[in-house]
Amino acid sequence: MLKINRQELTVNKPESVRCLYDKYGGMLLGYIYEIVRDRKLAEEYLVQVFCDLSKQINEMDWKDTNSWCQLQSFARNKITSLTTAEPVDITIRADKVVHNFRNRYLEQMTALQKQVFYRVYYYGRSIAAISVELNETDDVIRKTLKEAFAIMKKSGGN
Amino acid sequence: MEINEYIESGVLEAYVLGSASEAEVRELLYLKGKFPQIQEALSELECDMENVAQHLAIIPPSDIWMKIEAGIKEVMDKSDADALIVRNPSKENRSHYKRPKNNLFIDVESTSSHMQIHKIWRWVFGAVFLLGKIFLACAIYFYFENRSLQKEMEQLEIKFIQQKAR
Repeated sequence: MLKINRQELTVNKPESVRCLYDKYGGMLLGYIYEIVRDRKLAEEYLVQVFCDLSKQINEMDWKDTNSWCQLQSFARNKITSLTTAEPVDITIRADKVVHNFRNRYLEQMTALQKQVFYRVYYYGRSIAAISVELNETDDVIRKTLKEAFAIMKKSGGN
Repeated sequence: MEINEYIESGVLEAYVLGSASEAEVRELLYLKGKFPQIQEALSELECDMENVAQHLAIIPPSDIWMKIEAGIKEVMDKSDADALIVRNPSKENRSHYKRPKNNLFIDVESTSSHMQIHKIWRWVFGAVFLLGKIFLACAIYFYFENRSLQKEMEQLEIKFIQQKAR
């Protein structure tokens, strides 16, 4: 796991943003690309995310939460505010996703797991909202998310 | 509820991904302080998330950081400019304001030893410097020209006197 010095994040703005960019820039570009599916647009959003981050970097809580999780959540909120993603659009996107070597974990997921994972991981939808959208109980959605995450971890990350 | 059952319920994943409800977050934060297994599971999950994201990473083009840096500079310049905006008091507020009797002047002297001027002055200063050089060159040229003419005149005068003497 990448380690980041907490102090580096709150000292000088450009330097601390640079530190985050060096460690997580590629990961964030990959994450944004999976949402927008357009390389140029993903790069534009990456620039916007880091510019906005420089404004709020000192207000964010870097002590208690993992830096990547914080950054991912920040980027997700920023991108969902820039793009309009209706539940129907997400369903279509999750179903029509082109499998490649980077997202081969999706092949192993069931349709429901894919839908839940997509909604949570890329669009930050709440469990309650997904249960309404997919007409399932909260418990089923949480369990499905856990299963989807386990598949992803098994096939990709580790 | 058993702690293992709680960990396996998927609440931790929802929390880490920001999809848990407020009540779930409150409960998790409470349990996290009470049971170290939950803290451990959360840290592991965060590591997993990072590993997964690393696997999906795309190397950004080399010019991306320059764009970000330019954007940050713009943001910082804008916030500096916003901080310098002086708000004019409205008429109502102005009527409420009473000037102190003994303090007629506002101390506006800056503590900084530097001053900022418009960029156009760079060209003005450059032009003044260039003109100064041109005038100096002209002055030196005409000085030597004048000196040589004076010498010529003196020689002519001597020749004229010598011819007159013959």
